[in-house]
Amino acid sequence: MLKLVIKKEFKTALRDVRLQISGSILMVLMLTAVLVGRQGQQQIAHQRAAAQEAMYDKWVNQGNKHPHSAAHYGQFAFKPKPVLSFLDVGLDNYTGISVFLEAHKQNEVLFSAAQDSNGMSRFGELTAALILQVLLPLLIIFLTFNIFSKEREEGTLKLLHAQGLSMRQLFMGKVWGTYIMVLLFFLPVIMLAYFLLDDQSAALDAAVTTKFIGLATGYAVYFLVFVLLCTLISAFAKNSGFSLLSLLGLWTLSCIILPKATANLADKVYPTPSEFEFRKTIQALVKNGIDGHNPSDVRLASLKQEVLEEYNVEKIEELPVNWGGIAMQAGEEYTDQVYDQEFSRVESIFKDQNRLSEWVGFINPYLAVRHLSMALAGTDFHHHIAFARAAEDYRRSFVKRMNKDMETNHKPGVAYADYKVGEEMWSSIEPFSYELPSFTTILSTQWRSVGALAFWLIGLLGISMIYAPKISRL
Amino acid sequence: MLEAINLSKRYGNQDALTALHLKVAPGEVFCLLGANGAGKTTTINLFMNFIEATSGQALVNGLNVASQAQETKKHLAYIPENLNLYSNLSGLENLQFFAGLSGEKPDAARAEELLRAAGLQPNATTKRVSQYSKGMRQKVGIAIAKAKQADNLLLDEPTSGLDPQASNDFAQLLHTLREQNVAILMATHDLFRAKETGTHIGIMKAGKLMHTMKSDEITLIELEQLYLETMKTESHAEASY
Repeated sequence: MLKLVIKKEFKTALRDVRLQISGSILMVLMLTAVLVGRQGQQQIAHQRAAAQEAMYDKWVNQGNKHPHSAAHYGQFAFKPKPVLSFLDVGLDNYTGISVFLEAHKQNEVLFSAAQDSNGMSRFGELTAALILQVLLPLLIIFLTFNIFSKEREEGTLKLLHAQGLSMRQLFMGKVWGTYIMVLLFFLPVIMLAYFLLDDQSAALDAAVTTKFIGLATGYAVYFLVFVLLCTLISAFAKNSGFSLLSLLGLWTLSCIILPKATANLADKVYPTPSEFEFRKTIQALVKNGIDGHNPSDVRLASLKQEVLEEYNVEKIEELPVNWGGIAMQAGEEYTDQVYDQEFSRVESIFKDQNRLSEWVGFINPYLAVRHLSMALAGTDFHHHIAFARAAEDYRRSFVKRMNKDMETNHKPGVAYADYKVGEEMWSSIEPFSYELPSFTTILSTQWRSVGALAFWLIGLLGISMIYAPKISRL
Repeated sequence: MLEAINLSKRYGNQDALTALHLKVAPGEVFCLLGANGAGKTTTINLFMNFIEATSGQALVNGLNVASQAQETKKHLAYIPENLNLYSNLSGLENLQFFAGLSGEKPDAARAEELLRAAGLQPNATTKRVSQYSKGMRQKVGIAIAKAKQADNLLLDEPTSGLDPQASNDFAQLLHTLREQNVAILMATHDLFRAKETGTHIGIMKAGKLMHTMKSDEITLIELEQLYLETMKTESHAEASY
């Protein structure tokens, strides 16, 4: 019986001219978004890789100079464009693409794509994610708003019942029939996306296939949740008009109003400091000490005393090592502590905001799939932080190498301008490389979103099983 | 066999059906006559378990429709007044779908045969139902009911809106089903069809079965007079009330 209902639902939907037109438009949009997205992603990935290589070449060929000057000369770290970002750009356009790595200072990742865009970018880029998360649910609404009321209004519901079909069987038949129809739109898109992944994709991200499967599964669950929700509302709506109005209201609430309201709420509950405030705090902490009672001159004097005692000498000039190198590295390490503390504080605020939004996924499945999709596409906040950390680790490592060289090789008494190193030293520093977080790492950050989708699916299936027999037959 | 024992339905303080006693044996056609709101459709709906009875029982082959809902469906076929079917499926596809739900799985040839036997033109069977007239849809409904091979048939104003030819074809079909020992309960406004096709006739008024008779015991003119008098009494009663 269930199979018959599924087949009938699928066949009648497929023959609906309105659906043929709207579905075709949606399909063209989705395929275009995937193709254009992939092309754009490849182009940007290539540009960033080329820029990274060019900057490293520049570093290696900077000429002979003092290692501390080289630390100030600095390097750039470019954020690699994640392979699956062609499906979901997430926060990628807003979080910046490169960071300048230099001595003493932890810079921010700058030059976001949004900075170079016009006002239209505020409406969002046409990506597969936008279509799958926002527009495909509209198609589901179109498919389901009168799925019961039409039967009731036309009297076929009575005839179905007379044939011995239970309401539960009818409900599930309609759900699966509609879901197969939705998959008919979704599968070609996801298959095209899969075929667009090449060997290079796996080289850039070893877990790309697993992440892709996770992404496709997440969307498949989201669609089933939406189909169940819409069919339930349609089943208990008094008529088709009321059903359509309710479903469109629900769509507006979940895809437009609630996400904005959640972001605003998160910002109110966990306010972020301004850029100016943040930088001012760091400057003050570096100058006065983390506890506020340990100024930089006192710290330097104390370090000097320790070093003199260690080498059992009375004056800096008598040290067998370069005092400047030691002082630089100590200053660097202290600044690192300040940055770690302050960046952690801000990161923790952003994490709290994200966490709140992820919890709202239990109220709004759209937010759950959005977070999961961005995470698996490598374009969420956690990925941005992972890149920023990798870039910072690299900065610390290469600045430390410069300071160590200065401490060891820049003999006391030799003028700053007279001590120089060259290409051999610069090329001994490995170019910056960044590995995207693994699938399991992503899941560990996204358990709330996964849980929210599972909660919705199990909850709606349970509600359907309980309430489907209570659907009115008249 | 269809049987109503003290069957009642009440909506709020309004009686839709009051203490109905009725029995339709195999091979009998019981026609329920009455004005709109007399309780004819309520009776059909109660037998179909579309609504729950306030009191009493509706039995199909001795099975209670409320407590043995799925089991009774196997013995019941139903044709509503407005049979719309699925407009973007053909008559053939509609028949195969509905018959499939009841466990029958007629192949295309058998389905064609059923539709032709119901009076549908052979060239119409594969056309979409959206192009069908009411009479054609009703014929598909008959084919669906026949495909089910149920021994009880419930008809809710099946000839309303049909042209005289289609109505006559329908009467012929009922005659065939009657000969096959099917118990038929039909709600109708059509006195002529009730007299012609029914073996028994009941006249309902305000949820009550006022008169029952065998159709061969009364002429069409007498039936019409009795019907009008019953309705008149009702009007007088309502007026004096």
